[in-house]
Amino acid sequence: MIAWLLGFAFLGSCAAWPLSFLFGRRASGWLLALVPASLFVAFLDFVPTIAAGRAVEWRMTWAPSLGVDLTLRLDGFSFLFALLITGIGALVVVYAGDYLSNESAPSRARFFTLILLFMTAMLGAVLSDNLLVLFLFWEATSILSFLLIGFHADSPHPRRAALMALRVTAGGGLALLAAIILVGMSLGSYLLTDVTARAYELAQSPWIVPILIGVLIAAFTKSAQFPFHFWLPNAMQAPTPASAYLHSATMVKLGIYLLARFEPVIGAAPRGRDTLIAFALATMLIAAFQALRAENFKTVLAYSTVASLGILVMLVGLDGPIATVAMVGFVLAHALYKATLFFCAGSVLHATGLSKLRAMGGLVRFLPVTAVAAALASLSMAGLPPFVGFISKEFLFEAQIQSSWNAVPMAVAVLVNAVLVAVAGVVTLRPFFLGRGKVKHVKHGETPALLVGPVVLSLLGLLLSLEPDWITAAVMRPAVAAVYGADVALELPSLRHGVTQTLALSAVVVGIGALILRFWGPIHAHLRSRTLIDRYDTEHAFEAITRRGGRLAAATARWVQHGDLRKYLWVVLASGMAFVIWGHVATGRWPRLPDTLPGWRIGPAAVALIGIGGAFAAVRARTLVSTMVAVGLTGFVAALTFMMNGAPDLALTQFAVESLIVVLLTLVLLVLPLDAPSTRTRRERTLDASLAAAFSLVVFGVLVDMSTTSRATLISDFFAAHSYVSAFGRNVVNVILVDFRGFDTLGETTVIALSAILAWSLLGPRTSGAGGAAVARGRTIFILSMTSRLFFWLLTVLSVLILLRGHNQIGGGFVGGLTAALGFALISLADGTDRARAMLRVHPISLAGGGLFLAIASGLPGLILHGDFLRHLWLEIDVFGIPIKQGTTLPFDLGVYLVVLGTVLAFLFGLRREAAR
Amino acid sequence: MNALYALLAASLFGCALYMMLSRNLVRLLLGLSLLATAVNIMLFLAGHLRSVRPPLIAEGTDTLRESADPLPQALILTAIVIGFALTVVLSALALRAYRAHGTLNTGEIRSAEHLGDPSAHEAGGDR
Repeated sequence: MIAWLLGFAFLGSCAAWPLSFLFGRRASGWLLALVPASLFVAFLDFVPTIAAGRAVEWRMTWAPSLGVDLTLRLDGFSFLFALLITGIGALVVVYAGDYLSNESAPSRARFFTLILLFMTAMLGAVLSDNLLVLFLFWEATSILSFLLIGFHADSPHPRRAALMALRVTAGGGLALLAAIILVGMSLGSYLLTDVTARAYELAQSPWIVPILIGVLIAAFTKSAQFPFHFWLPNAMQAPTPASAYLHSATMVKLGIYLLARFEPVIGAAPRGRDTLIAFALATMLIAAFQALRAENFKTVLAYSTVASLGILVMLVGLDGPIATVAMVGFVLAHALYKATLFFCAGSVLHATGLSKLRAMGGLVRFLPVTAVAAALASLSMAGLPPFVGFISKEFLFEAQIQSSWNAVPMAVAVLVNAVLVAVAGVVTLRPFFLGRGKVKHVKHGETPALLVGPVVLSLLGLLLSLEPDWITAAVMRPAVAAVYGADVALELPSLRHGVTQTLALSAVVVGIGALILRFWGPIHAHLRSRTLIDRYDTEHAFEAITRRGGRLAAATARWVQHGDLRKYLWVVLASGMAFVIWGHVATGRWPRLPDTLPGWRIGPAAVALIGIGGAFAAVRARTLVSTMVAVGLTGFVAALTFMMNGAPDLALTQFAVESLIVVLLTLVLLVLPLDAPSTRTRRERTLDASLAAAFSLVVFGVLVDMSTTSRATLISDFFAAHSYVSAFGRNVVNVILVDFRGFDTLGETTVIALSAILAWSLLGPRTSGAGGAAVARGRTIFILSMTSRLFFWLLTVLSVLILLRGHNQIGGGFVGGLTAALGFALISLADGTDRARAMLRVHPISLAGGGLFLAIASGLPGLILHGDFLRHLWLEIDVFGIPIKQGTTLPFDLGVYLVVLGTVLAFLFGLRREAAR
Repeated sequence: MNALYALLAASLFGCALYMMLSRNLVRLLLGLSLLATAVNIMLFLAGHLRSVRPPLIAEGTDTLRESADPLPQALILTAIVIGFALTVVLSALALRAYRAHGTLNTGEIRSAEHLGDPSAHEAGGDR
């Protein structure tokens, strides 16, 4: 069931793109809000299960060898988040519909898609029970946050902010991955439920310190805790609906979610809670200080969010059940009022085009409903009764009184909460109620879509507090039970209890807050004039690290990618040689020499010596032509060697290839300068020669050693035994190529066809020049011209014979294709390329493509009849009394033949054209 | 005989490496072609030279008797053709490089390095 919901969320996000085009400017926001809204309603269906303290699970095997199962689990705490994500998500989408009305249609479609994808990722993150799956969704939220912050990618500030957020949060994601892997190593399980249930076992793990560091870095980067807090205020470059959704209500709370899930482990680990609280207090103080200094509406809200997240981290760190109650309550209360305030800020920004609080004033005239919603949210934020904020703040102080901690967190909490009271006052009074007449007119008034979000959320902040029974039973108690591990009886604070300790603290907070609010102007001006904190902010340290990292990367790239081909090859060859030597050393085996030297034959030995001579001649040759001839000589030596050792197929192929290489390279050398003076200094030559000699010595040792081993014959014996019995072919080499390993051959054939396309697109002008043909004709040699036709037809007939006989005798598609190409090469030499092209009639690329198509098609009958691609079928028929047995191997081999022929001709014609240019 | 073939393969291999380290593009590609030959012979040796008879099943019998090993031959056969295609494509590239730069010396073909500093964009553009 919950998997279906997740799937629906994803499908809904994918549908957002076309739907938003279809339904235009006004309707699409309302329509697309149905996706999160229906999810919200569907989640409400789980209320009875959740309220009874049970969890809903769903499991699917994904990658069992890695221990990754797609495990989803909905318990009380996930349920709270799921409701927040889908509920606020629906309001955000409605709001965005009007907020983005100035954007182009593709822009709006992109925004809707991203925000709904984000909702899906967020839901996935809080529903995953497997930590690895959670990590995937966690990273997805980072990437989507990056895309949303950088939504206006055409201006530099959003780009910078988006990159910063990505670097910080994705870096934290890597820390999370490391921690998760260590958890898996420690527990043998990746399940979050196991982490909670076996917290003490995990705390005894030797990896506990790195695990906690990883989890804390992940949570602190995501939830903008010191020293990573700076990305969140910068992230306000995002469109306001995204800020409201990601950077206040949901995504930044994912870090809190993770910490809360790991709370038993953190509590069991030495100094775990201390660390958490220390960082939380630092974050709260810095954020409160910066909130007082900030000028922009959204920046003030962002810093107050950072402070609130600090409070949440502190509450996770405090021990005792009330701390958990306070944390869960504050997650809800903060989401309600902060999203409202962001909505209101967005409406103000949109209507006035102003961003600085100082410039605003008296907007209640133009945006009366927004002003009321902002006022309600601010009262909740200030923690005044009867709002939800009041209840959560009472629990906050109660948790501090009951915890085993001293007065320091309490003092910091009082101070920071007082600042938050002041911020709540400033962001409502300044723009809406004070400074009447500062803003003379607005671009537009309120629209229903811009109002739904703030009105609903601010009223909820009041209603949930007045009628707390349902939400307490259905959401809050199960959530607390899920985090704390046991049911906690909740007694809601009320004014009826008279003046308690916590109420007194609340009064102090409001008192100090009111004072700060009264003197906001001077305090703000004074703090702004102090720039020391800007200079020592971690943001600068981060930027410096990023800059230096970039410079280091650039320097490394220049060092590694120097652009000298010879040095690259040196590195490759030297390390290749080192690997071979290391292999010998590691196994402790040195090359063995053969005991006897059997079977000396004079002919083959002479041929081999000629080959060695040819290779050295190639090295010594001064001009490219002589080098080519010497290399060609070694090729023919290889062919003869194959011939004399029982491999006539190879010999034929090698002969054909060497002949074609001579023809084709001659065309290339017609253009290039033949004189090739040495490009290396004497020292470089010595070095290169030593490397080559050393490597060839190693290779010699390996080859001699190899000849002393006994032959592994398992695979060859199988082919020898089954070639005729199963595959009806007497030429075992050909049977291996077209039948046993037909799929490999198809792959190789594809590579050859691709090289034809590459050569054709590289070489020469598209239209064949008439001038080139004239030159070619002028040099025609009479005898060659007279006999070339005859040889062409002989070669063509021969190639077809080679192809047809190939399955049982020497030959096959490769050799056949090469032989046929030789015929065309002859015509081309004798009568010019145009003549050869005219005789071919079809385009060489079409020939290669047709061949490839034929080879693939020959595998289809087997696929259709036996479900096995390239399983060849055989048919035996009598033609005039002569039994003919033919299989689908022939079309396959014909396909290979055509690909090879087409490719060689593409090379031939292309090089000829290029040479004639 | 095996030792002599090992010497042949190793010599071709070493000469091919020396040619490939040259800065002349055509020497490099001829070296690569030589290297392909050397490797094919090595592959051939890996199958052991046990017979001079080709791996053909004689008429009247069903299985292969004493003959050369068919498996390395099948591997080498495609390797020869692929090596040929590689050599020709490289020669086409060398030809185009010569047309574009007027030289075959890889040390003087540096247009990829002249594209600029990849880190310059972020440092200058975003701040």
